Amino acid sequence: MSFVWPNTGMMLLYAENVLRARPWAVQDGQPGRKLAQLGLLVAAFGVTYGAVMGSFGGVFGERFWQVVYSAAKVPLLLLGTFALSLPSFFVVNTLFGLRSDFSHSLRALLATQAGLTIILASFAPFTVVWYASCSDYRGAILFNTLMFGCASLAAQWLLRRFYEPLIERNPRHRTLLRAWLVIYAFVGIQMAWVLRPFIGNPAAPTQFFRQDAWGNAYVRLVHILLTYLGG
Amino acid sequence: MLKWFKQLDRILRGDATRMSLLAEGQMKTPVGGLSVAVVLLGVLYGLCMGSFTMIRTGGEAYMQLIASAVKLPMLFFLTLAVTFPSLYVFNALIGTRLSVLSAMRLLVAALGVMLAVLASLGPIVVFFALSTKSYPFMILLNVATGTIAGVLGLGFLLRTLDRLVVIQQSLESGRFEPPPQADPDKQATDAKTQPTGALDRAGKITTRRAKRVFRVWTTVFALVGAQMSWVLRPFIGSPALQFEWFRERESNFFIAVLHSFIRLFSW
Repeated sequence: MSFVWPNTGMMLLYAENVLRARPWAVQDGQPGRKLAQLGLLVAAFGVTYGAVMGSFGGVFGERFWQVVYSAAKVPLLLLGTFALSLPSFFVVNTLFGLRSDFSHSLRALLATQAGLTIILASFAPFTVVWYASCSDYRGAILFNTLMFGCASLAAQWLLRRFYEPLIERNPRHRTLLRAWLVIYAFVGIQMAWVLRPFIGNPAAPTQFFRQDAWGNAYVRLVHILLTYLGG
Repeated sequence: MLKWFKQLDRILRGDATRMSLLAEGQMKTPVGGLSVAVVLLGVLYGLCMGSFTMIRTGGEAYMQLIASAVKLPMLFFLTLAVTFPSLYVFNALIGTRLSVLSAMRLLVAALGVMLAVLASLGPIVVFFALSTKSYPFMILLNVATGTIAGVLGLGFLLRTLDRLVVIQQSLESGRFEPPPQADPDKQATDAKTQPTGALDRAGKITTRRAKRVFRVWTTVFALVGAQMSWVLRPFIGSPALQFEWFRERESNFFIAVLHSFIRLFSW
């Protein structure tokens, strides 16, 4: 940590800078260190929200492990999806002649992820209040989905601000950003499906992975749709 | 090895196909090292493709992994070998003046673009192979990655052909002034007037001659490629079936497609 920041206060300062879309993240210079800083922000704030999300069934005894698992899963979901989608984004950027801006786009995208987790972490108290007032498992799932949805929407706004200078330089960045969002969503949905349970049904035993969870979100979706249509 | 990938990188960046480098209307990219890079990328994607069956059968079908890794580069190079003579002849007939070597270089460069995109989508394929039980889904996913790679590779082919034709035409009419060699002061203005990326258009519209060659080439290459992939199948390998290097040599790609259409509508 000392390589990245001297202390926690600095980290919060940087988090604040991400939220205000200050250009430190996307400015040139020290690209490696900035990526490490942004990655750590994603991890730190993702863990925060994840831990709160996993506390639905309580935090004592066996349920403590659910808190740990959920805390690990949120950064894993975001950074894993990010890493899987990155190679193709790199090649396509190169092909469209935007290689010189790639380092910049990379930091803009990672800064957006960091922003997303910071926003999510700020929603954590809402989740605590919801858990305290309602013990329905389905309700908890819906509420968390809502929180993720809101945070993603807010992060979109951040993404646009980080990407603005790039798009100004070359409008083609807009197209590639859309392509990125499509690939990211495609991989991310499956990643979220694989990493279930995020909240953990209190009636079921605590596990890192559900035994039957290894399936395909899209195949399931088509099956459900077909069942509806076929009656 | 790094050198070969650097050559591929130059093509992806569009450095190898700048107008100033194509000044004689011929391609100058090296074929040898580039082919090795293409083969390696093909092996990489083949491994990603074959990983599905291996994972699903718990490692029993590891042969499929090896088979896919061998077959995928073979598919591209065999197709190129079979079609190259006719592709060259069409190019000469229609009137693009690519030399034999130049045409080969152009085609290998286009394969390079295609396989670079394909291999870069490999991690996503492996991720789905790990988490999916559905064989049809894997087929569709691979069709999708293939389509993306194909569209970008063909885009590169068309744009580069067009650049070559533009230069050849201006050479014919004697109007061509070779663009000044990289002048550091002028580079900033050059960047705006000259195509910078590998996929940028040379002129306002694509020349007709380039379009004609492109159409014939892609049609021939796609027809032969489709049949070749049929001969070499399976690439993914159904987890329910025994491993075989090649499936039985029944019918051909086009008859099989026709049959499935008939089955679809007679059902």
